[in-house]
Amino acid sequence: MSAADLLNLFIAAVLLAGVYAAMSVGMTIIYGVMKIVNLAHAGFLMLGAYFVYEAYEQFHIDPLLGVLLAFPVFFFLGMGVHWLLVRRIATSDQPTLTSLLLLFGVWLVLQNLGYLIWGNSDRAILTPRTLSSLEIGPISFPTVRLVVFGAAVVSLVVLEFVLHKTWFGRSVRALMQNNEAGQIVGVNVQRTAQVAFGVGIAFAGAAGGLLAMLYSFSPDFGATFQLRAFVIIVLGGLESFGGVAIGALILALAETFCILVVPASYQPAIAFSLLVLALIVLPDGVAGLWNKRRRWA
Amino acid sequence: MEQEAPVGVRESGDSGRSFLSRLASAAAPPLVLASLAALPLFSPGPNTVRLLFVTLTLVTASVGWNLLGGFAGQISFGFAVFYGLGAYTAALSINGGIPPVLAFLLGAAVAALASLLVGLPTFRLKGPYFAIATIGVSEAVRVVMTNVPWTGGASGYRIIEKGRFLQMHHYYTALTLAALAVGISILVRRSKLGLALIAIREDQDAASDLGVNPFATKLLVHALAAALAGAAGGVYARYAAFIDPDGVFAFRNGIAILLMPIIGGVGTIWGPVIGAFVYGLIHEEVVAYFPQAHLLIFGSLLILIILFEPAGVVGLSNRLMRLFARERKS
Repeated sequence: MSAADLLNLFIAAVLLAGVYAAMSVGMTIIYGVMKIVNLAHAGFLMLGAYFVYEAYEQFHIDPLLGVLLAFPVFFFLGMGVHWLLVRRIATSDQPTLTSLLLLFGVWLVLQNLGYLIWGNSDRAILTPRTLSSLEIGPISFPTVRLVVFGAAVVSLVVLEFVLHKTWFGRSVRALMQNNEAGQIVGVNVQRTAQVAFGVGIAFAGAAGGLLAMLYSFSPDFGATFQLRAFVIIVLGGLESFGGVAIGALILALAETFCILVVPASYQPAIAFSLLVLALIVLPDGVAGLWNKRRRWA
Repeated sequence: MEQEAPVGVRESGDSGRSFLSRLASAAAPPLVLASLAALPLFSPGPNTVRLLFVTLTLVTASVGWNLLGGFAGQISFGFAVFYGLGAYTAALSINGGIPPVLAFLLGAAVAALASLLVGLPTFRLKGPYFAIATIGVSEAVRVVMTNVPWTGGASGYRIIEKGRFLQMHHYYTALTLAALAVGISILVRRSKLGLALIAIREDQDAASDLGVNPFATKLLVHALAAALAGAAGGVYARYAAFIDPDGVFAFRNGIAILLMPIIGGVGTIWGPVIGAFVYGLIHEEVVAYFPQAHLLIFGSLLILIILFEPAGVVGLSNRLMRLFARERKS
């Protein structure tokens, strides 16, 4: 194992972390504003993958442009799901049983719709980009991973900008910090929740499209990534956007470097082991650790 | 602030119900049990017995899930793990020459131990951690079981028993276990433990102010629920004589175990039993007629129940009974 190999693995992990962060941030927004764990996230990841796939196969839209298109489409889809279902259940400062079960039902429905429309065979998006790579000395960057990483980072930067510079963003952050105080100063909870749900689903759809550029997919494919998204937001402390980035990096590093030690067939168990470990050692996530350090100082 | 609307219904007091309806609800369980016990008198075909056998193991798992999900309000998506571990433990024990009843007990014990794996790290925390962890655990355990060599890995494990295959013998085992599970459920509901569980469901902070230890109580009932699911898995494994990780550890088993109490009425004694019978008897038909769309149907059913009748069949029948009583009065 040479230094260049290790560096290659490290770069692969960082590139993976970008798309992991993009796929988890939607859950954080929805959890932060509504205290709802979006169990249907996997379904929207899957739909996003097929959206980009169909756009490419039917209309020859470049997958990258397809991902960009997925944002508005899934935004309105998410608003629709919120209007039709989610707004009808009571919320609280803790995730309610009803919300867990409702979104779980939505997941089952979406997954089965995927099977009905596309069958259970694996699909993949193959473009000239897929197999090319950029070589710098002994280090190689697969082009498609660079592109996906770039798209994920750009979308996260835009989200950060929206959260800090617009009224919608301020309302979201106010509700995340203190729901009641937010209402007292005049934040419209229902509308903010609806838009936040739309944004969360938009990120799920777009991230699904990005993942589809990297991996082959079937209607079942959201499930493993949903578990990863859980691990990432738990590592990040559930409600922190900075935490999502760090959580994504930790998971990506753990998965990438575990290949050296753990047989590949046990790979899906790594995310879960990390989840249990995180819950024991860092129940408030990385953000909690950081807050604690600040309190001591 | 809006309070969480509990999924379960509290058992309404007997006041306001007519003598007849009280008599009917008191007499129904023994009658059903008696007719299930007297099944050979109806000389049913082997397929009917098989269907009832499977339904009875489902009743056990469903009642177990309800102890945790219904009474204590902790939603678990991962009961397939306990079902599968019970199945594998019982299978290994029976092949090792251990008498079946002991093998089922071992399966229950292993499942109860495994429940600590998820319970210990998550029950101390508030928030959605438990539900999240249960989604991961079934996938993780299935992957491990697919790869460990001494249980045959992905190709499954066969149980070899000498002697004749007696279907009715298996049927009565499942019936006994299901009755035992319902008995445990009634005892828990009437005991101090049951009150503590409901207190935790309604308001954990208030419960701990009243001297309930939420962590220990949740761990205990999780272990009890897991033991029931594990025993059900063991009984099923002995009947099937062949188990494989994709069969017993499948996430869809976890979904089924959660769906049954919700169909019947979460947090009640008889809801999970009714739900298991509804699910057990219609499930195969639904899969047979809509092989492509059965998850769609069960998912939509889940959404509809949550939005319109969170108390399931029990809640619906209570509502109809009230409507009926009101009409008679006017």
